[in-house]
Amino acid sequence: MVDVKLENIVKTFDGTTALKGISLHIKHRELFTLLGPSGCGKSTTLRIIAGLDYPDSGHIYFGDEEVTYLPSYQRGAVLVFQNYALWPHMTVFDNVAYGLKLKKLPKEEIRRKVEWALELVKLKGFENRYPTQLSGGQQQRVAIARALVVEPKVLLLDEPLSNLDAKLRLEMRSEIRRIQRELGITVIYVTHDQEEAMAISDRIAVMNVGTVEQVGTPKEIYESPRTEFVASFMGKTNVIPAKVVDRQGDRVTVEFESFRLDGLHYSGDSDKVVLVIRPERIKLKPGENTVSLEGKVDLIEYYGFFTEVVGIFGETRLIARTISDREVANLRPTQPVTFYIDRDDIIVLPKQL
Amino acid sequence: MRVSKWSERFFGTPLPDPVVMVSFLFPLLYLIAFLVIPVIVMLGTAFKYNGHLSLYWFKSIFGSSYYFNPLHPQGSFVTLTTYNGQEVYYFSGLDFGVVLNSIIVSISVMILTTILGTTFAFIMARYDFPGKNIMRILLFIPLLVTPFVNVVVVQKMFLPNGLINWIFYQHLHILPKPIWIDGLVGVVIAQTITYYPIVYLNAYASFINIDPSLEEQAENLGSRGFHLFRTVTFPLALPGIAAGAVLVGIFSLEDLAAPIVFQGSAIAKKLMSYQIYSSFVSGFAIGNPQMAALALVMLTIALIMFLAIRWYVGMKQYAMLSKGGRWKPRVAKPKWWQALLIAFVAVPMLLITIFPQIGVILLAFSKSWYGTWPTGFTLDNMKALITQPDVERVILNSLLYSSVAIVIIILLSLTASYASGRFKKAKLAPVLDSLATIPIAVPGIVIAMSYFFFFSTVPPFKGTILDPTNLIQFFPGAALILAYSIRRLPFAARSIAAGIQQVHVSLEEAAMNLGAGRWKALTSILLPLISLNLLGGAMLSFVYCMSETSVGITLGSINSTWYPITAKMRELIMSAVGSANLAAALGVFLMLVQITAIVLANVITKQRYSFIGLT
Repeated sequence: MVDVKLENIVKTFDGTTALKGISLHIKHRELFTLLGPSGCGKSTTLRIIAGLDYPDSGHIYFGDEEVTYLPSYQRGAVLVFQNYALWPHMTVFDNVAYGLKLKKLPKEEIRRKVEWALELVKLKGFENRYPTQLSGGQQQRVAIARALVVEPKVLLLDEPLSNLDAKLRLEMRSEIRRIQRELGITVIYVTHDQEEAMAISDRIAVMNVGTVEQVGTPKEIYESPRTEFVASFMGKTNVIPAKVVDRQGDRVTVEFESFRLDGLHYSGDSDKVVLVIRPERIKLKPGENTVSLEGKVDLIEYYGFFTEVVGIFGETRLIARTISDREVANLRPTQPVTFYIDRDDIIVLPKQL
Repeated sequence: MRVSKWSERFFGTPLPDPVVMVSFLFPLLYLIAFLVIPVIVMLGTAFKYNGHLSLYWFKSIFGSSYYFNPLHPQGSFVTLTTYNGQEVYYFSGLDFGVVLNSIIVSISVMILTTILGTTFAFIMARYDFPGKNIMRILLFIPLLVTPFVNVVVVQKMFLPNGLINWIFYQHLHILPKPIWIDGLVGVVIAQTITYYPIVYLNAYASFINIDPSLEEQAENLGSRGFHLFRTVTFPLALPGIAAGAVLVGIFSLEDLAAPIVFQGSAIAKKLMSYQIYSSFVSGFAIGNPQMAALALVMLTIALIMFLAIRWYVGMKQYAMLSKGGRWKPRVAKPKWWQALLIAFVAVPMLLITIFPQIGVILLAFSKSWYGTWPTGFTLDNMKALITQPDVERVILNSLLYSSVAIVIIILLSLTASYASGRFKKAKLAPVLDSLATIPIAVPGIVIAMSYFFFFSTVPPFKGTILDPTNLIQFFPGAALILAYSIRRLPFAARSIAAGIQQVHVSLEEAAMNLGAGRWKALTSILLPLISLNLLGGAMLSFVYCMSETSVGITLGSINSTWYPITAKMRELIMSAVGSANLAAALGVFLMLVQITAIVLANVITKQRYSFIGLT
């Protein structure tokens, strides 16, 4: 049983604080993703877990053992680097066998384990190739095999798919998921791609400028973002600054431009809020519990399996997404249009910054 | 274990790591002990008069017209004299005093080498013409370092009956009267011919490294011809060219070979390097604080040049801004007038500049050389290399000193490059980086001078085999090995640092993450990956140890049993008639060593132009 606990990790580089007190609990056998824009501290967190950097303060535990200042080579948290870090002067076999040789295992056992690992990543028969003779996807598999073969307590993946082309990325994504399930190991995964994070993770921590904004399952994060940042980072979304003008318990009336929307759920203190509305939740037809906004069509963008209508309401642009072509068939730019949104689909969050 | 702020500050590792600490401390302490402290000891001598801190010795230099005479230069640049009953133009140069002469010579050489080197570089980088490959090979010849003897040949070329007059006066009738180049002008010409390949290599690399799209964009906007060169190409190549030129300036400042060969003309002796050197040779003036002060003046000038170019090149890093990987350099066929210029100006110039090396070979295989050409073919000089005990001896000495030095150099440059390249945030990293490159800017004669003061006065060394005043026990080899290891360190260090830079740090991190300690990660990952740079750097440094001049002919020439090759060569060209031929044979031997090393380096490391010339 290896669960990973981070308590109040603080790290500064050259006077700027990269991590401002991160606390996380990653459960055994979980595929846990650190998601955030570049510079948010996700890779630093990963390197600190790997023992390649040390925090200024805070603690890291693997199970009950504190590993905060344990050197990387004694830690068993193996990192798959973003650039794979394959040693160009060694064959695939030697790359994968490296960690085993350090453990001074018998030759025969090393050979067996390397074979097992290469089979796992579907690279049997490539033992004698050099890394430069492999494609990007194959190189990445070698890197994963090299990490898995030493049976790490935790597998750490740093943007593992960022150097692959779109098609290969999808393939490797499910491959990583398959291997994780098959071996039942704890994986911590770093990415800036929210779609990738949603597809692969058991749970996600969304990070922003050195702090964790929210931890949850992909569904929780997407549907119930707790901050404006999380809401706007998770996919294309409408974020409208607004003001609370009336409160009735946890139902409020908000105002933006000349529009007033009533009966929205909000329990925050601040009257300065943002309204978060997912494009796919905006309808062109009224429903039971809907509010309506009247404006003009600005643009219609056809994406194939869905169509987006950009409406302009005063100065505010809103994107509605529909999978039905028929609904938008008659719409033309500059024509009037009405957007309908279910009150429960409007997330009201306190304004950040 | 806890994070140590102290270790992180100085060594860049939050957890104290013995491998990293040694990598910082070994080269740092070595450089402090054998470069910084000796120079400081010399400083102490120069600033002391009658036991007090004083500027007396500096005042004695700048107050004397012998050393500093900016307003009333003596002599004349060119005069009409007679040579064997014929009227000739005699060039010797004006005498502004020792300090200014050195500066003027240095600047003149910088200007001439820049013109010559940049022109050849531009032709080779941008034009495609028949015979280009032959020209490429020929351009490689002047890189071969043959201390003293190539200057002997240059001197002969510019005598009234020399090659230049044979071509331009006797046969082409371009010159109205024969010319005779001697004195400071001779020094300038000899140094220009010796050092222009350095500018050439730098400029060539700069031209090749310009992203063609930058020029194409300019053309696309309507710029062409010389305008394009002036506004885009040249400014982009300038940092590289300037770096080469400054290097040449420093080498000119410290050069001893040219003034020694031209010392028949008294004015050629009036250079800082020669003055310090002659205090060594004359014996009784060794330890003269005035010479220490003069050495400091020279060091200061060299350091200012070096730091200025470092600052300037650092500022102009935009040359590296271009994105994208390899590109095809822009190469064009020359227009008819350009082809004429290449054929009738550039090629003859090139042939003249490679003649010294050819002349050294001719000299080595001949009995004498009085007129335009050497006379009397003989193999005796070459045979002497392996039969004459004193010659054999110096070869073995040099091989021994250079081999030991190279071991030290490799250890120093490996540790220093690893420490300052991998732990850039450590407070010690920039210090170590500067200390490891600064020997380029420290004239060899300054090192010789400061070693003299250091080893003869400072307690742990005083009276040991390193103490040159301890005439019975003094072993020049030890001092030479130390001097070589400092002076030639930057060459290996640069090559190895480049290698380490090319190996991404994640390769070592991956090893450590998989269970390797730092030592294991170094030996199993980093070392094999930079082995070619290691080899290239080692060979380069070795070759330049073999041909080291300044320390070799001063500290190294105290006891003839322990002469290095260069000390012997100097002795030969200064002594009886015919000895220069034997010196030339030693020059040929050095060329062979260099050619072997270059060919090996190019075959093994696939690196082209890994050489910069240096005496």
